[in-house]
This record gives sequence, structure tokens and C-alpha cells, in this order.
Amino acid sequence: MNRPPERGLLSPRLIRAIGALGLLTTAATVWLGLWVTPPDITQGNLVRLLYIHPAIAFVALYVAGGLAALSSVLYLWRRTRTMFWDRLAAASVELAAVFCALTLITGSLWGRPTWGVWWTWDARLTSTALLLVLLLGYMALRRVPAEPAVRAKRCAVAALIAAVDVPIVHFSVDWWQTLHQAGTILNPELDAHIHGSMAWTFLLGFIAITLDFVWMVAMRYRIEVLADLVGDEELEVSLAERWAEGGGPAATPVPEPAAAAAEGGRP
Amino acid sequence: MKYVDAGYAIALSALALYAVLLVVRRRRLERAVITASPDPGVPRVVEVSAGPEALGAAGAEQPAPAPRPGGEPR
Repeated sequence: MNRPPERGLLSPRLIRAIGALGLLTTAATVWLGLWVTPPDITQGNLVRLLYIHPAIAFVALYVAGGLAALSSVLYLWRRTRTMFWDRLAAASVELAAVFCALTLITGSLWGRPTWGVWWTWDARLTSTALLLVLLLGYMALRRVPAEPAVRAKRCAVAALIAAVDVPIVHFSVDWWQTLHQAGTILNPELDAHIHGSMAWTFLLGFIAITLDFVWMVAMRYRIEVLADLVGDEELEVSLAERWAEGGGPAATPVPEPAAAAAEGGRP
Repeated sequence: MKYVDAGYAIALSALALYAVLLVVRRRRLERAVITASPDPGVPRVVEVSAGPEALGAAGAEQPAPAPRPGGEPR
């Protein structure tokens, strides 16, 4: 029962600081986005949705998706294989799913008045929806009962399959003719099509949502650690109960080879 | 503005709700760990400051297999 104490992803003080900073920058983005910045010449007030929608999509695809892929690769690589990477991947994937769903919802709310439809089978939209399905698949796979190492390996492979979709989502607007516009900043020419207070609010939105993500992933990672510990405790309790029911450890049936080994003989 | 307001309301309330759920789940699990601990009141999970080197070290801390009551672990 003597185990080393488990550590969190970040120190509690740092998590609190990041949380406070995330809250502050998110509030500032909302204030600037809704009340300070001017309406756009062509989009009018709808441009205000773009202070949060691309930032949420950025976190879903590149930050959470990237972290999940990186953690999964590091888990699959024998030299760096520890449960830390598996837990970090699990935390990142759940957050990627949350942010991916919000990307689709906020995008749909922007698309309805702009394109006239809530949804269209556009390459960018379809590939993003596919990513959400793949992320949900990972989460379902994680719930399938298995040995921790087997589950971790399966999930790492599933995360890498999902990660294949990330570059497809990114380049979909360049590879196919889509209704969705090309990147405002991350376009092939890296030419920012946004300026002044709108550009600063846009940038602040990215910082705010990324800080929110970092706070959430630290919290989610800790939940993963705690859930593993609780699972182990429950297993130990149920094993102890089984042994007690069987009349104590002496009465526990031991397989023959193992019994021979315990007695000093050859299995 | 109704689409804009709806977008901000849905995104921010969903993130806030998810954050609250994370805190609730964490507290519930912390209580469960403390309850299951052989020495009640002493949590088995402690938080320590972790730099980049600790990120790797944290992962190395996999729970050791519990010794079987029937004998020494082999």
C-alpha cells in the first residue's frame, strides 16, 4: 500500500494563476468584442463572433489535438512510455471534443445569417464534424474495460487516427473549393486580413481561450490521476474481500506452477 | 445581434459549466481517495510544483502493484 504520492500536471498556485488570468482575458475579449470594436464593413456585427470562433477552433485543433497526438506518440514510443502521457492524452482528447463541439456550434451561428444555412456539407465543416466523431470514439474506447496498459495503447492508436484529420481540416479550404473562407491569419501567404482594435481583440481571444484550455487540462489531468487511484483502491478492496471470503490468504487457490515457484521448486 | 449574443452565451456558458463540472468531479474523487486511504485524513495524492523535469517524473509514478496477501510479490 506504500506508493509514492502522485503529482499534478502543474502546481496548485500556477493552476490558480492561469485560471484567474484566463478568466480575466476572456472577460476582456467579451467586453472588447461586444462593445468596443467597430462593426465590419461587409459582415456588420456578425464579425464579433469571429473573436471567439477561430480561437475555440484553434484550441480544439492545434492545441488540444496537437497535445493529444504528441502525448500518444510519446506513450507509444517505448523509451518515453509512462502513464503520464496516457493520462495527458485522455485529458486533451476530452477537451478537444468540447472545443470541437463549440467550434461547430459557434460556426453554425455565424453561418446561418452569412450563408443562409445552419449546416452545409462543406469540406471544412465536414472534416471538423468527422474530427468530433473520432474524438468521441476515443472517449468511448477509453470506457471499454481492459488492462490499463492495453487500454492506453489502444487509445494512443485511436488518438493518432483522429490526429490524421487535423491537417485535413486545416488544409481543406486550400485543397477544395469551399464555402468556408481561408484563414484570416493562417493563410498560405501569412497575410493578416485584420487590423487595429479588431486585430488586438482577435489576438486576445486566442490568448484567453488558450489559457482557459491550460487550466482545464491541468484539472482534467488530476481527475485522471485520482480516478486511477480510486480504481486501484476499489480493486484492492474487492480482492481483499475475495481472499477473506475464501478463508484467508492460505486458502487462496494458487496455480500449480506459481505454487511450485513459491515453494522454491521449479515451475 | 441575436446570433452574436447566442454564440457568446452558448460558448461561454458551456465553458463555464464544463469548468464547474471539472471542479466537482475533482473534489468528489479527492474525497473518495481520502476515504479509501488506509490512514483516513491523509490524502494519497499531493500536489507539488512541477517544472518541465517534473512533468516526466510525474508520469513515472505509476502505482506499484499491490503486494498479494498470499505472499511476497514475485
